[in-house]
Order: sequence, then structure tokens, then C-alpha cells
Amino acid sequence: MTAALLDPYEHRDSGIAAFASESVVIVDRDGQVRYWNPAAERLFGWPELAVRGCKLAALSPTPVDEERAWSQLMQEGSWQGRIGRYARDGDIVYADVRRHLRYDAAGEHCDTLEFALPASGQGEAGLVSDRIMAACWEIDISPASEIVSRIVARAGLAAKGELEDLFLNLVEAARIVEVNERTARLVGGNRGRALMVGQSVAVFWPFGSRRILAELILEAMGDETGKTFHRRIPTDGILRDPIVSLWRADAGRPGHLFIAVNGAADDDRSYLYLRASEARYRKLIDYMPVALWQVDASHMGKIYAKLRAEGVVDFSRYLEQHPQLVEHAAASVPVTDVNRSAIELIGGAGPHDLIQPVGYLFVESPASLRRVMVGRFTGRRNYSEFMKVRTLDGRVRDVRFSVTYPEPLVELDTTIFSMEDVTERLQMEAQLRQLQADFSHAARVSTLGELATSIAHEVNQPLAAIVTNAETSLRWLARDEPDIAKVGQLTARIAASARRADGIVQRVRGMAAKQAPDPVELSFNDIVQESLLFIRHELETRSVRVSTSFARGLPSVFGDRIQLQQVIVNMLINAAQAVERCDHAAREITIATASEKSGNLLFTLRDRGPGIAPEHLARIFDGFFTTKDQGMGIGLAICHSIVVAHGGQISAFNRPGGGAEFRVVLPRTRGLAAAGPVYA
Amino acid sequence: MPELPTVAIVDDDEAVREALGDLLMVSGLTCQTFEGAASFLDATTKRHFDCLITDIRMPDMSGIELIEHLQKRCTDLPVIVISSVLDQHVRSSALSLGVHAWFTKPVSDERLLGAIAAAIANGSGADTGQ
Repeated sequence: MTAALLDPYEHRDSGIAAFASESVVIVDRDGQVRYWNPAAERLFGWPELAVRGCKLAALSPTPVDEERAWSQLMQEGSWQGRIGRYARDGDIVYADVRRHLRYDAAGEHCDTLEFALPASGQGEAGLVSDRIMAACWEIDISPASEIVSRIVARAGLAAKGELEDLFLNLVEAARIVEVNERTARLVGGNRGRALMVGQSVAVFWPFGSRRILAELILEAMGDETGKTFHRRIPTDGILRDPIVSLWRADAGRPGHLFIAVNGAADDDRSYLYLRASEARYRKLIDYMPVALWQVDASHMGKIYAKLRAEGVVDFSRYLEQHPQLVEHAAASVPVTDVNRSAIELIGGAGPHDLIQPVGYLFVESPASLRRVMVGRFTGRRNYSEFMKVRTLDGRVRDVRFSVTYPEPLVELDTTIFSMEDVTERLQMEAQLRQLQADFSHAARVSTLGELATSIAHEVNQPLAAIVTNAETSLRWLARDEPDIAKVGQLTARIAASARRADGIVQRVRGMAAKQAPDPVELSFNDIVQESLLFIRHELETRSVRVSTSFARGLPSVFGDRIQLQQVIVNMLINAAQAVERCDHAAREITIATASEKSGNLLFTLRDRGPGIAPEHLARIFDGFFTTKDQGMGIGLAICHSIVVAHGGQISAFNRPGGGAEFRVVLPRTRGLAAAGPVYA
Repeated sequence: MPELPTVAIVDDDEAVREALGDLLMVSGLTCQTFEGAASFLDATTKRHFDCLITDIRMPDMSGIELIEHLQKRCTDLPVIVISSVLDQHVRSSALSLGVHAWFTKPVSDERLLGAIAAAIANGSGADTGQ
């Protein structure tokens, strides 16, 4: 054969195959022979030139069997058995062949490789499926010896239900010693052989046929001749009409049994389809933008079951008292798989850097692991919180961490961790909060500017009183007989006025200060009263009356004192400006606090001014919307953003009898979002 | 006409009213305080005042309105303004209405007493100092 006929990929394989003593044939996806090595030429008598491009099936003397063999190959991925094939001289050559599907880099089936050796012994026509096609188990029933002897003792005596239970107990007690790849693939899920070993047979054996398995075990144990026992078991969704064969291991391994389960995969989807489907899911998961960890915490489940049996109820407290159990989990629960996003988030050269005990995920937040364990213990389906995680290169990221626990009895014991990097989002949120704080500060300063004349006047009054009182005192003292009593009275007045001036300065300083919002529990009535104090003077000089109604027994509100005062002050100033040009009788603002049915706090402000122009109603809380010549249009926009940041609502409308009404609703408890455990 | 001159003080701020009242008292002057223009105007119908000290920025009726009101009545009551208002426009309009003196709070006792004495003496020699 010439290298020129083969592509480099093929060349690499077939170049070696040319020297093989076994017949090697490569068949493309359409069933046509692509390669036929010298050993195949010798075995079947056909030169490669003669068969290349031919359908391999055309060489079969039993096309129906051949077709079945190929469909089995497509389902299983590989096939082994004995075939017959027409030789060049018309004879039929029998050969033991192994066929394997091969895949290209994209995971697509590209061709099929067939190895063949002359059939050993006398040629048997047809196809003989090799035992390797069976799902094989080696199990150890010595842990169940007591159950076996009880069954034997109770045989014929025991009630049906009791025997049934004993059979199930027997399968549960039996341990897996070894399984083959096919068994691992059919019932092991994604755990693979290594994780099946040592576990109970019952974990993997379909429930519906455990009784039959137990009966076969008992039959085999009662037999000394080493006979093989067969039973057909019902189709169970894994194999179609499977036959279970069971025999005892040699005398060197007492209590050990071999099981072989033969049957076609009970799934009309081909192996190729399933493989492609699995590959699709793998790819999907691998490229998922969320970082995923697959974790096998199955051994912890057993510890939890034991603790539960010992009567542990408050597992959270138990873990506080036994931190070594958390450390044990950190060091012993393995990560079994990770996706690309996980590697991007945590770092590392590849999955192997992250496939290690889960402890590394909780270095920054050990309490999170404890909460994950409590979630599992209490039988939750999932758990989520914000936590910090340290990358392999030592950076700390903020993540939203979620756990999906396995559902008992439905799924294999696989826990999924997911992490979403929220570092940037949190930074952005912090920036936005800062921006909002800056903006509301700017609005407060602007409000102070509007009130400057009023504030100057207000602060000047006590100062004027202080100066005059002090000078009057000096005059009393300068008399020949100083009137100490009078001086004492004046000094007391000086102190009172000074305190009053100080109070005004404090209020102004609070409004002018640039500080981060400091949410605390506040009395809402207090906030409204303090706000009134702040602009009392302004309202008085504008001859605007304020009538108030404060509800008693209001629930507290959680928020920032200065920001909430800012809202009330702003609304009062707006209202005062609205009614300023009205008749004396209409220069009145009515404010009230109340609690809604839901328990939320309600603040209403009504005026008897001209109301809000209908075309402005929808835009009144927009930034930079103003109807005033010198207004910046940020007052109500800031009110809106402050109220919303407190989890509340602000609304405005015109009253039927004239004038405007503003309503602010604030939640009674927490309003500002606090980071902490989030329950899905 | 009473023997001792009586000064009326109009200011909405109680602390200021009391302080001014005490100052006048220690200086040997009689005074009566009012928390607003309306109550003062009421009192003028019952008795005579020799001098009025008033604030400008007050609710209901401002100091300027009060002075305008007195002008209409053609009284020769000398008026001294003590105010926190820094607005030059308000100040000059007050002075144009014939206000005897304009002081900005806080006011010095000597200057205030001097202005009151001058106002009571002849109502002339207006002190327009700060």
C-alpha cells in the first residue's frame, strides 16, 4: 500500500497496523473498507486493492447476523464475537473479531476498527457474544453471612414479608469487590469503577430485581459443584430482558461470587447518540459561564446518618462543638470534576489543580463549609450565600456560592457547587452607592444653600441675644452695688441661647456632612419632628403654617437618619414654595404619619397650593426636571432615590379639592439590602 | 405723656426680646416687648411710644411692612431696625422710609443705646451705621 492514499492521521495508524500479525480492517462510516492490512489479506484471502471501497457487510454469509452485530456495535461502542466472512475463493472463513468505534477530535464517529484472528477450535457458525459484553460484578457476601444463615434457618417458616426483608438485607450487606467497565457505565453513573468498589451492591443494583439476585446468591451458596445459575430478570430500563448468571469464585475466595448480566442496552438511542448527548452536556457544562464543582460527599452522608441515629438534632451547634468534623470534611470530601469557569475563577493550569479535597474553597470563609454541611444534614435541596474565595494565586474574590444537594434515592450521591464571581458587581454596587451618597449630599448642600438666609437668621438670633445679655450683665456688674441675682439670670439665658445656637449648628453640620449612609433603627416620628425643627424658621418667615398629626405606636424604620430627614425637608420646602404665593388662608401644609395595614410606615404631605400640572405628574421625580427658574431639579429625584434605596415608595398626585399630595411608604423593618445568607 | 420715655421692641424671637428689654432696663429706659407687628400696632392705639425697635424678618407682617404701615399713619415715631438681614436693597428701602437707625445683629449696646437716646432726643441725626 502506498502512503499517498492515506491522510496523515490514517497513515500514522495503518503504518503500524501494516506490521501487525492480527487482521486489521478500517471501515468508514458508510461501512466501506478504507484499510485492510497484510494480515487481513492473509486471513481472508482478499488483497487490499480488491476490497478497498467495498461494503464490508457484502462479505458476510449471514447478513442478518452481521446487521445485528453492527447495530450492537453502534449501541455499545464496541463489539466482540465470532463472524463468518466470504474468502476470495468462495469459502467461509470464521474469525474472532473485536470491533471498536473511533472518533475524531470533535467527538464524531469517524470510522470503525476491526481486529480479527482465525477462529480457534472448530468453526461455529453465527455470532457468539463474548462474556466481555456482559456487565460483570465480583461481590463479597461474607458481611451477609449472618443474614444467609437466618434465611436458611427460617426457610419455610418465615412469613413472606419477613423473608422479603431478609432478601433485601442480604443484597444491602453484600459488597462490591470489582466491576467491569460495562457495569460501571450502565449503573455507576459518572462515578466510575473506583468509587463503586467497596460499596453495597444495593446502591447500584436495580431495586426491582434485588430479590431475584438474593435468590440466586442463596442457590449458588447452597451448591458445592461450582455450577452457574441463570435467571431472566425483568427489563429494568437499563438492559432489555437481561439474563443474570451467577457462580461462586474458587475456594481461595470464600464468600465471593461472580455475576454476569447479559442483555442489549434498553435504550433505543444508540451508543453514539448517547455519547454525543453526553459530550454535548459535558461541553455545555464545561463552557457554562458559572463555575461548577462536582463533589462526592457520599461518605459524609453516612457520618450524618450515624449522628442522626445518635440523636443529634441541632447540627449547627454540634459542629461548633466538634470543629474537627468540619476539618475532616474539608480534607476528605473530594472534588471529582470542575468546568472551565471554575478554573478561570480559581486559577490553575487545568482541572487537576482543582480536583482535590474541597478545603481549598473555604480557606477565606470556613463558616461557609459548616453551613453547607448543616444544609445537607437538614435535608435541604439547595443552599446559597455570598462568600469570599481565595484563588490559587492568593487573590480574594467575592462570589455567590450555591450548593445543590443530591436528592436521596433519586440521584447518585453527587453534590454540585457553583460560584458566580460577583466581585465586579459588588464593586459597581459600592460605586453606585457612593454616587448616590455623593448626589444626595450635593442635594443637601443645595438645600442648605436655599435655606442659607433662613439659617443665618436663625443662628443669629441666639447670638444677638447672647451678646446683648453679656453686655447687660457687664452693666449690672459695673454698678456700685452689682446685682448678682440679675447677672445670674442673664448668664443662664446666655447659656440657653448658646445651646440653642449649638443645636442649629449641629443640625446644619449633619446635613452638610459628607458621610456614608449609616442605617440604624429609627423612630419615624422623631425624623419628621427633627426635619420640622430644621426648617421651622424658614416656614415661619414664609408665613406657612404646618399642621401635624403623629400616629402613636408606630413601628421603627431602618434607615439613614440624615437621608430620611433630607427627604422630609425637601418635600416641606417644595410645599412651602408651592403655597407661598397663595392667600394667607391657603398657606398651610398638613403632614401626617401613620402605619399601613401591612405594617409599613406612611408619611403624607398635603398642601392647598396650585397642585402639580398634569403634564408634569409623570416626570416629577425625574432628575433635572424642574419648574423653578433657579432650581436644579434634583430635589425630588433625590427624594425618590433615597426612598427607593430604603426599600420604599414615593408618589405624588393632585387632590380632588385642589393642592398636591405626596405619599412616602417605608418598610417597617430592613430596607437597605444587607449581604448575608440567601435562601433559594 | 409719661415722664420716662418708653421704647417698644418688636421681635418674634423671645430670647432677643428679653435681652433687649433687660439692656434698656439697666440703662434706665422703660420698654414694652411685642412678639409681632400686629400686637404692637394694637398697643399703639392705647398708648404712646417714644421709639420703636423692630426686627425685619418676621412671620405674618415683616418689619418693612410695619414701617410702611406707620408711614401711612403719619406718626413721627422714630424707628430703629435691628436685623440679621444683609440684603442692601432691603436696608436702603428701610432707610428711604425714614428709619432712624439700622443695626445688624448682634448689635453693640453702646451704639444701640446711643441711637435710642438720639432718636428720643429729637428724632434727628439719623444713625445709619452697621
